[in-house]
Amino acid sequence: MKPRHLNPEELNQLLDHLAQETCVYAPVKDRTGARWERIKSSADVWLQEVNTAEPAKGFIFPRCEIMLKFDPDGNPVEPEPPAELLLFGIRPCDARAIEILKKFFIGEDRTDPYVRARAEKVTLIGVACNRTAPTCFCLGLGGSPHATTGLDLLLVELGTGYLAQPVTEKGEKLVTTFPPAAERDLETARHLRHQAEAEITTRIDTRTLKEKLPAAYDRPVWQQLALNCINCGVCTFLCPTCHCFDITDETVRGKTVRYRVWDSCQFTLYSRHASGHNPRLDPAARYRNRVMDKFYYTVEQIGEISCVGCGRCIHYCPAGIDIRQTVEQISTETEKTKL
Amino acid sequence: MEKVELLRRRAKELLKNGEVVMVIGFGPGTRPDISQPLFATTPEQADQLTVDSTCSQNLATYLLKVKDRGRVAVVARGCESRSIVVLLQENQLQRPNLYILGVGCQGVIENGSKSVACTVCRYPNPVIGDEMVGEPVPVSEPDPAVTRADQEFDRLSPDERWQVLSEDITRCIRCYACRQVCPNCYCPVCFVDASMPQLLGKTPNLSDNMVFHLIRALHMAGRCVECGACQRACPMGIDLMRFNRRVAKTVRERFNAIAGTDLNHPPALTQFAPDDPQEFIR
Repeated sequence: MKPRHLNPEELNQLLDHLAQETCVYAPVKDRTGARWERIKSSADVWLQEVNTAEPAKGFIFPRCEIMLKFDPDGNPVEPEPPAELLLFGIRPCDARAIEILKKFFIGEDRTDPYVRARAEKVTLIGVACNRTAPTCFCLGLGGSPHATTGLDLLLVELGTGYLAQPVTEKGEKLVTTFPPAAERDLETARHLRHQAEAEITTRIDTRTLKEKLPAAYDRPVWQQLALNCINCGVCTFLCPTCHCFDITDETVRGKTVRYRVWDSCQFTLYSRHASGHNPRLDPAARYRNRVMDKFYYTVEQIGEISCVGCGRCIHYCPAGIDIRQTVEQISTETEKTKL
Repeated sequence: MEKVELLRRRAKELLKNGEVVMVIGFGPGTRPDISQPLFATTPEQADQLTVDSTCSQNLATYLLKVKDRGRVAVVARGCESRSIVVLLQENQLQRPNLYILGVGCQGVIENGSKSVACTVCRYPNPVIGDEMVGEPVPVSEPDPAVTRADQEFDRLSPDERWQVLSEDITRCIRCYACRQVCPNCYCPVCFVDASMPQLLGKTPNLSDNMVFHLIRALHMAGRCVECGACQRACPMGIDLMRFNRRVAKTVRERFNAIAGTDLNHPPALTQFAPDDPQEFIR
């Protein structure tokens, strides 16, 4: 698909037009950086932050979703079908995370109709990261600050304008009216990509994790590593691929609604059985679960690591915990005792 | 000798002499803006201790996690010491199992500038301790901007106040970082996690969020030491200290009490004094 060139005014006009036609969400300026908000025009967009505090996962897997409603007579009322939605300014790591979420929720043998319905309605226009944060580590996890996975269209800010790289037909349709990009633009984009990738200096060595993590499962090192962890839900809720949920019924004035809400393996209630037994009462076991899940369990489940390296769990952890450090220490620990 | 050097030396001595099994302090983190809690069990590990404005958390939280391990030393600034006082008063910690290494505090950072809680701090130095490492820090005047903002908020009508709080609380994603990071929020089963019967809805909507934050603020009345760790932990930037300052002000005015400042003075809400002002009972 042909890459196109848009000058800044053209992009603004395109966004203004799209915001009139359909429901467009984009990062807007917020207290702790940026957050996703429905925009009225291009003027609302704020791309100065490396990323939004909350990931984009909520657009296909909302924090709180109505699954079913019953009227006071007990008759089911179908929830509203999701509307068409366009996300502008999603970062490559978050777009890739949405691809990963789809693998969990949409499969041949099992499909979550709620996530599928939303995923089908979403168009993703990515903006490549020319600037990264010290907490970014997408490289080495199959990502890149300029990756196109999961996107419909990737924009690269060139300084003088934008390179628009269509990824899907849906994305291509949005930019067909613009002139093809010149070789010079492609060269600039390649240069920017190398520059951004060179900024990312910390990587997780994933090569032997599949053997090391299960081998480390019972090691006492988890107790030391988990001592810092306060078992809040920040890392899981802000993680673009964490997708555990709880289902709850609420009845208000005769009307019953069944909701699905995000849940977190860091909470004690999450793993408590109906009998009262809790297999993960130990806070260290809960901490271990998230690390094992990202780097091992999901490899078993969907064939890939489900950490995209966005760095939110590092940036927002109230205790300053760094998952890169944890994985490294676990790796070293297994190596040490193998000798 | 620099404060941090003195601290490391004392921590190493305590560990070497077997006076304590662990020293809890702060060590280097991987982010420039936040240190990690450090749990030193060997003198070598104690060499990593730091104490500066990136030490964002209240370390008293961790004392509850390790209270069965024996005698533990903790690096305590004003806030930690006050939280420890509350925990001692509530029988959550035993004084003989603690060794309090007091240090003065010049405030910690929050989003690049001085944490709001620290700008109105009156207790930068520990209120109890086994020894003081380095010189005490002079108490500075509270930032009048914060007091002014609180007064302006108080002048609003109840509806307007509700509006302001709603705009804030609607941001809450119910990650409970505020609760988990708080040393004085330690109920084995928090009311939000009670499931038989369920006391609070699970959905992060405004009404349930509001109930969570209001009840948490009220549960902390006379117990919150205003360290601001909850606000710094909040990934959504919610002004949680507005609740805590307001509750602390009420406790101060009605009961003449400031949480965690006097070990011998029971927390305001655990005792009845006949001379308490009672003009609100009609």
